[in-house]
Amino acid sequence: MNDTRTPPVETTLTERYIQAVTRSIPEAQRGDVAAELRGLIADQLDARIEEGEPPAAAERAVLTELGDPDKLAAGMIDRPLHLIGPRYYLDWWRLLKLLLWIVPPIAAFGIALGQTLAGAPIGAIIGSTIGGTITVIVHLAFWTALVFFIIERSEAGGTKAEGVTDPWTLDDLPELHASRARFADMVVSLVFLALAAAVLVWDQLFGLVYLDDRWMSFLDPGLWPWWMGGLLIVLAVEAAFQVVLYVNRRWTIGLAAANTVLNLVVAVPAIWLLSQDALLNQDFWLTVVPAPDAEKVYGILSVLTGFGIGAIALWDTIDGFLKARRAGS
Amino acid sequence: MSETDATDADGRAIHLQELRRGTVVLACLRLLAEPGYGYGLLEALQARGFDTDANTLYPLLRRLEKQGHLTSEWNTDEARPRKFYRTSAEGLRLAQALTDDFRSIAVAIDALPEED
Repeated sequence: MNDTRTPPVETTLTERYIQAVTRSIPEAQRGDVAAELRGLIADQLDARIEEGEPPAAAERAVLTELGDPDKLAAGMIDRPLHLIGPRYYLDWWRLLKLLLWIVPPIAAFGIALGQTLAGAPIGAIIGSTIGGTITVIVHLAFWTALVFFIIERSEAGGTKAEGVTDPWTLDDLPELHASRARFADMVVSLVFLALAAAVLVWDQLFGLVYLDDRWMSFLDPGLWPWWMGGLLIVLAVEAAFQVVLYVNRRWTIGLAAANTVLNLVVAVPAIWLLSQDALLNQDFWLTVVPAPDAEKVYGILSVLTGFGIGAIALWDTIDGFLKARRAGS
Repeated sequence: MSETDATDADGRAIHLQELRRGTVVLACLRLLAEPGYGYGLLEALQARGFDTDANTLYPLLRRLEKQGHLTSEWNTDEARPRKFYRTSAEGLRLAQALTDDFRSIAVAIDALPEED
């Protein structure tokens, strides 16, 4: 390419620019892009020099106008300049939100449960639960982004891949009144509370399980009358709360706070009693499980029950605040 | 110029750019019915009032070629080898469709309520 018309200026700038553009272009297209770009730059240079610009200044001006070489290269081969573009952004974001709602809580619960069963001290349980949950969140964010990054580039310039995500339909619209406290919900809650109270009283007075020719209670008989009486009062308050919630038609921050207090009033004493071996009826479990393992099984069962109570109380508390926030907006 | 003026001017420039984006494609397809090369086309566009930058035109030509609306050929007859582009049959059909659409948009805009 001996070009007689190219002015005798230092062409290293132009060559450096062309190399900067072509280095990120696939081998097959590199020669073509370089040759075309060289011609285009030379044409623009000629035009400026004809207008009387000094060659060196003209070269700088032409290359400056062309701008960032990486950006030009991306344009030349139609490479996206974003991680996840508008085609897939919403799909990615919805999936990530869904996963973040589901996976980290389960992971946290699982890690805490595992550590507790392994007999780790409380500090280690809290530490590894927080650390493990953060690791899980980071992994979720990274891997979903990577998957969509690859999808975005797997068919650049084409249309959205079929089957990667479903097209939006009207059925995907969220419910308008999902946060409204409904009559059916209240009735179900009241029936459930009444049943729970009846079962608890029956368990304490007569026993729920028939074993070794006698009725045994599932919960510790020592809970009667004071602890059990207290629990029945809390259940009555809970029933009243359900009625207030229905009358009020919607969750508020105040109701969510009251719900939290109710959850704490049940969960904290229950877990404390559990830790004192005073919640479950030890006699029952020692009868059910063969002698050598009985103590161990009872211990594991206590931990599982404690985590169950804690998880339900925590979820119900969070759920109340979420509904209050949704109803408020 | 105050800060709000500068922001207004930026917003204006972005809107104008949005409005013109498709018209450059249309102009390229129509102009390249006769074969042309990058810089020659850039000059022709500017002379005809289509304000275009080199760094948007060159990638655009490659994109249109990849989509099959342009064909290209190297011309090595002259001292400086140049890549000549020409609108394909498919590109001409696209140009016709774009032109028709642009005319109907122009009519629709004329029919909008007059400004004061």
